Amino acid sequence: MLGFLKQVGDYAKESFQAAKYIGQGLSVTFDHMSRRPVTVQYPYEKLIPSERYRGRIHFEFDKCISCEVCVRVCPINLPVVDWDFDKASKKKNLKHYSIDFGVCIFCGNCVEYCPTNCLSMTEEYELASYDRHELNYDNVALGRLPYKVTQDPMVTPLRELAYLPKGVLDPHDLPANSRRAGKLPQEILDAMPQDPEAAEAKEAKD
Amino acid sequence: MNQGIDLQGSFIRAMVDLGLSPGVAKTLWLPLPMVVILVAATVSIFVTVWLERKISAAAQQRIGPEYAGPLGTLQAAADGIKLIFKEDITPAKADPWLFTLGPAIVVIPVFLSFLIVPFGQNMVITDIGVGIFLWIALSSIAPIGLLMAGYSSNNKYSLLGGLRAAAQSISYEIPMALAVLAVVLMSNSLSTIDIVNQQSGYGILGWNIWRQPAGFLIFWIAALAECERLPFDLPEAEEELVAGYQTEYTGMKFGLFYVGSYVNLVLSALIVSILYLGGWEFPVSVTWISGLLGISETAPWLQVITAAIGIMMTVFKAYALVFIAILLRWTVPRVRIDQLLDFGWKFLLPVSLVNLLLTAALKLTFPMAFGG
Amino acid sequence: MTLSEGVQLVAFGLLAVMMLGGALGVVLLENIVYSAFLLGGVFLSMSGMFILLNAGFVAAAQVLVYVGAVSVLILFGIMLVNKQQPFLPVKSAWIGKVATGAVCAGLFALLTATVLKTSWAFSPEMPVGDQAIVEIGKHFFTDYLLAFELASVLLLIALIGAIVLARRELIPDTLPGEEQSEALQLPERPRQLVSSVAANAPDTDT
Repeated sequence: MLGFLKQVGDYAKESFQAAKYIGQGLSVTFDHMSRRPVTVQYPYEKLIPSERYRGRIHFEFDKCISCEVCVRVCPINLPVVDWDFDKASKKKNLKHYSIDFGVCIFCGNCVEYCPTNCLSMTEEYELASYDRHELNYDNVALGRLPYKVTQDPMVTPLRELAYLPKGVLDPHDLPANSRRAGKLPQEILDAMPQDPEAAEAKEAKD
Repeated sequence: MNQGIDLQGSFIRAMVDLGLSPGVAKTLWLPLPMVVILVAATVSIFVTVWLERKISAAAQQRIGPEYAGPLGTLQAAADGIKLIFKEDITPAKADPWLFTLGPAIVVIPVFLSFLIVPFGQNMVITDIGVGIFLWIALSSIAPIGLLMAGYSSNNKYSLLGGLRAAAQSISYEIPMALAVLAVVLMSNSLSTIDIVNQQSGYGILGWNIWRQPAGFLIFWIAALAECERLPFDLPEAEEELVAGYQTEYTGMKFGLFYVGSYVNLVLSALIVSILYLGGWEFPVSVTWISGLLGISETAPWLQVITAAIGIMMTVFKAYALVFIAILLRWTVPRVRIDQLLDFGWKFLLPVSLVNLLLTAALKLTFPMAFGG
Repeated sequence: MTLSEGVQLVAFGLLAVMMLGGALGVVLLENIVYSAFLLGGVFLSMSGMFILLNAGFVAAAQVLVYVGAVSVLILFGIMLVNKQQPFLPVKSAWIGKVATGAVCAGLFALLTATVLKTSWAFSPEMPVGDQAIVEIGKHFFTDYLLAFELASVLLLIALIGAIVLARRELIPDTLPGEEQSEALQLPERPRQLVSSVAANAPDTDT
């Protein structure tokens, strides 16, 4: 009898606990309702990509020396480098270069290792197309410069969270020259105690 | 007891004064409240869909619809127009008759149940003796439509969804009926008008929620399960069953399920507000206020104001409950089918039986408070 | 004829056609699922008849019990055991058919006799209308008490039987004499009350 009562008591306790947890959950959901929406109204508003954003890769045809380092460092050997050897000048002559962004994972290894810096990351991320073969960019398409969000008259550019002033969470209606929180990289460099060697090198350069 | 305004009587009198026979006047009156309620129920879909989308958005820190009409209020209309103009596809191997009949059988009982929803002393289509029992009976028809839809789609997910829906509604109907029975026990009548009147007189203190807290919870949980709202939406759980019995439906046939589910939610909220939250009663007794101000209770303008407040209170209470249902949707995860049936049969059913027994005992002990 | 009489006549005609048509469909249709759905239709039109007879409570009970529970259970049964199999030709199946026909004819004769014997004069008593629930309750606890209690005991037996059947975890796949292979067995935990486990092994958890 006592065991049975204990069972009933435990069961009731568990039920009340479950009800309590549901109540706690409800209060969390209710609390969220009074928070500001985090929405970016995409086609009309766009976030400004950060400096190190790894978007579509830009390729400069004239700088490329067809060394194929990009192919070797690529996890799947993706870049296609089409060249032939010019016997007269004893140099490789680049004919075509292409990257398929339907397969690329934007790891940035090629950009990292390119000896002539002819590959670089851009801030372009709107790569959607109706045909997956359109994602295979040739050297002409790779050479196009992306359209900057800040220069598009149809788009309201919004700063990302890390680029907002201190204590501000809403990127809408910021004053024009508001500074981001914390120091800029240049300021950190300037504030660093200059060690003599670097100073000498700098002077020599000047 | 304050009789409130008698719209039917006034209408018939006005028509008779115009020179019509009373019979014709009554015939003219008959369709009026039905049409009004039908329109109100349809408008309630728009409001509910808008609320659902906006509240869901707010709970997830989104904005929700905002381009269709001011604040996105016309989003439901846009959805409806889209559904109406969408091609109505019947799958090649489906059973065309049952496939068409299914959604209708789901929707019609829901609209029929509005027959007994009162918005005031005389603001009800029919005050019939079986009252709330009619609603329970009608809501038990819906599983047939769900089974029909699930079976005729010729799709295993549809069939599973239909079977789950039917199992769910027949198992949650029992605790719901027992919770209603406890309320009926206190008011000595099945009529919704009598149930509200029994709660009136003491303002918010007289509402059944204080006398039936367990019953209120049981009824609300069972009503959510009957409406297939989260956390009990497993007949159409998209992760498991695509969309359950709705999988093969498009166009207005799907629209009927959609309409049915939202009207059913509003209807359940209205019934909860009638059974437990005092229906059209204001939180402070109107009789008491008018007595305090020294106004005669039968003053025509006061009756008009009371009736208006009554309608607003009923709708407000119902929508407050809808709000809680939407919040719950984003708070509680979906239960599994075995948990659902366990919860219904092993928890709600015994608890509602105990609640019924307690109510009967309390009624015998304290006939003053629990209805003699 | 007043309007209400006309409406009643039309409603009666419609309901009668629905009921007879539905009943014939239940018997004559090949597809058993159609039969089950039509059975629901027959029950619904029957409840319409009750409404025409001013018996609202009986009508609602008819819908709740027959449409909402019995039809749904029949449908459940059909849909869960939807085994398509050709029936083996049974020898001397005509005996069964003849027997069924005889029983049906007997029932029909019985009902006809009853119909002809009953005096169909209108009862002088006023229909109770909305007070029917009270009257039904009084009858249940006075002159029909035995039937009422017997029905409830029957339901209780059915309930307990269902629980007993449902509590059995698994039905063994093998016959009693057959050897069971260990690998293919589902683990079956013996059901025990928590209290009895605690009583048997008091200090296992310490």
